[in-house]
Amino acid sequence: MAGYILRRIVSTIAVMAMVGIFVFLLLRLAPGDPAAMIAGRSATAQMIAGIRDQLGLNDPMPVQFIRWVRDMLSGDFGTSIFARRPVLDLISQRLEPTVSLSILTMMLSVSVGVSFGIVAAWRTGGPVDRLLTAFSALGYSVPVFVIGYFLIYFFAIRMHWLPVQGYVPIASGLVPWFMHLILPTLALGLGFSAFIARVTRASMLEVLSEDYVRTAAAKGASSYSILFHHALKNAGVPILTVIGISFAYLIGGVVLTETVFNIPGIGRLVVDAINNRDYPIIQSVLILTSGLYVLINLAVDLAYTLIDPRIRY
Amino acid sequence: MAAGTALSFPSMLRAQTSPEDARTVRMAKEDLRIFDPVASTANITQEHGLAIYDTLFALDSKLTPQPQMIGKWGVSDDKKTYTFELRDGLGWHDGGFVTAADCVASIRRWGQVDAGGQLILARAKDISKKDDKTFTIALKEPLGLLPDILASASGQFLFIMREQDANRPATEQVTANIGSGPFRFNAALAKPGSSVTYDRNEKYVPRKEAPSAYAGGKIAKVDRVIWNNIADQQTAFAALQAGEIDFFQVPADLYPAVESDPNLDLQVVNKSGNVAFVRMNCLQKPFDNIKARQAILNLIDQEAMLRAMYGDPKYIRTVTSMFGNDTPASNDENTAWFKKGGDPEKAKQLFKEAGYAGEKVVILQPTDWASVSNGCQVLASALRNIGVNAELAPSDWGGVATRRSNKGPVEDGGWSMFLSDWPEFAMGDPISNVLLAANGEKAWYGWPKNDEYEALRAKWANVATSEERKALARKMQRIWWDFAGFVLIGQSVGPIAHRKTLTGLLDTPGGYLAMWNMQKASA
Repeated sequence: MAGYILRRIVSTIAVMAMVGIFVFLLLRLAPGDPAAMIAGRSATAQMIAGIRDQLGLNDPMPVQFIRWVRDMLSGDFGTSIFARRPVLDLISQRLEPTVSLSILTMMLSVSVGVSFGIVAAWRTGGPVDRLLTAFSALGYSVPVFVIGYFLIYFFAIRMHWLPVQGYVPIASGLVPWFMHLILPTLALGLGFSAFIARVTRASMLEVLSEDYVRTAAAKGASSYSILFHHALKNAGVPILTVIGISFAYLIGGVVLTETVFNIPGIGRLVVDAINNRDYPIIQSVLILTSGLYVLINLAVDLAYTLIDPRIRY
Repeated sequence: MAAGTALSFPSMLRAQTSPEDARTVRMAKEDLRIFDPVASTANITQEHGLAIYDTLFALDSKLTPQPQMIGKWGVSDDKKTYTFELRDGLGWHDGGFVTAADCVASIRRWGQVDAGGQLILARAKDISKKDDKTFTIALKEPLGLLPDILASASGQFLFIMREQDANRPATEQVTANIGSGPFRFNAALAKPGSSVTYDRNEKYVPRKEAPSAYAGGKIAKVDRVIWNNIADQQTAFAALQAGEIDFFQVPADLYPAVESDPNLDLQVVNKSGNVAFVRMNCLQKPFDNIKARQAILNLIDQEAMLRAMYGDPKYIRTVTSMFGNDTPASNDENTAWFKKGGDPEKAKQLFKEAGYAGEKVVILQPTDWASVSNGCQVLASALRNIGVNAELAPSDWGGVATRRSNKGPVEDGGWSMFLSDWPEFAMGDPISNVLLAANGEKAWYGWPKNDEYEALRAKWANVATSEERKALARKMQRIWWDFAGFVLIGQSVGPIAHRKTLTGLLDTPGGYLAMWNMQKASA
């Protein structure tokens, strides 16, 4: 097991290195120039050239790459071209909103998705099952921003129950923090809930048709016991896989949600950095995200062993 | 009753977090990325400068320069030496006094990037302080427009910074954000990419005169102004409706929604608005030929283009003078021959006379700038209709900004045309406005060249009276429209949306936000 974990961690570093090279080249080869963005729309070419020189963007690409790798290896992720602050400071400043939104979304998605899926499988063909089908279709097909605008219109503008936008740090109070995250969580969580519910239902249906479940029922086991002691545990591996994938997809999903609800998180940081061609931020966030992605997959793989003792690494 | 209580509970919770403070104004503004108004021409950066810095002179609503930080000033009999004395009560946000040395250093730094400033530095024999409050500008030859240039808002404002900040190279950003203006930058509350906060400078001593555009008494009537970077326009509008923000630069498609909300107002705070134009690459085919550029002058149907770009006819207006519609230099010289525009047959004929042989015409299309992106599509369609091989090159503005500096042919990543806009009032200033230069490869993107026109432009700063300047403007325009350094699309004004509780917003040429004078009533 330890060897397996070590190999996966080494592969994580390899993935991050490949992502780093790819992102560095992509950014330099794509059109756009941070100096032009700094100088503004009516700047002269001379002004832009001066800024490029000052930022070191006129240096040959290999020189820039070596400088960047050297700094990264010494733990320096660079300084934002625009904010003139260390990238890691900016990322840490944006971490709380994104982590808050992600955790609440996963809590909502897992609790709604798994319970909905279990009930739908248990009462297959019934009204709950049909409702699940409709819910899944809605969750899959309606984009996050449409759900977001609808929620804003109804709950914030019409009912005046919740704020339209923004984020309040948890240190400023649990209630305002939570109030600002309800709508984004609902908007982002709907799709993931539907996804998890569909997989849970399918997985449960497969297990519920197994002989041992029939035997348990014949022996007089209660529905609760059949569903939660016999079926759910055996249906757990695909559900856990889907939850892991959802967590990884969530990283992409927060970008749009943070934009619609004006949440100053990592997603907004990346979008703004891409628009501004703020290379150090884009490179750092994508590398860290790729590492996180691989680590989530590793955590899911390890969690299989807790659910299914037959799995060994 | 229980149900009622349950329904009202979230509202009660929300009320605890709602911005009800009438002394705080919240605005949806674009991201303030660069804080140094010398390092960037971006509007938002200049607005940041207006909030925290002050200027020596400032333009009033009639575009006349008025003393702002200056108390007394005068010029020698030979018109070559200007002496300026700072007024009393000018202090930096960190506690020190503004001195003449700060002003001298600020002029020198600004003069490296602003076209008007460059002219002053080129003409100056000496710029030096005489004592703590007095400095002089000694010129090699008279420059009657000196106060106008010091007050100019056509390029970059001359904001006065502390000497230690102003001594930095112009390309190295000043990030201290310490000025002497009516608002202080609150660094502790700054969240890069998200919001910036300005607090009223309680020690600011305003002038006695009534506020008029950028001039007069700058009285901050609110304690705090917060700029929120709300990237999504629908969200910003919803926040405005819900009272979470007070001010929003609303896009044209939301004008009807604003008008239908009893709590909101649409207000034009920049009555002169912007002039949109087409710039052509004069170094490459087909627009290296004057006839091809004249063809575009005849092709463009301003009314149709303006409608496609800006929609509501209330806020658009055609324009034929290269100096805009309402500047002192506006005139009708040499405009009769293309006045109606929208003449594809004439345009086709002119392309033929230019020897056009089907070369690819690449139009840079910024897809993240809706109005200009629409204009590009209309232009491409009009060109194709007369047999021109027009091709759109879509990218975000960052891509356009980079590609437009390429002087080469389209096959080597160059370009043929791009659209942009410029503050209308600045069209009357051929000194500071780089768009009005025609000095070839030294000119702004497109690089038009006409020595005869440039010789006239060089005289602009020397003419003594406004009548002489008007006559000069007519001569310049006669030549300009013959060689077509750009082609105008028209004038537009973009109203802002604000809650009715927000009043006192000043009309400013160029539309740079002046945060003094505005006040907010309790909701």
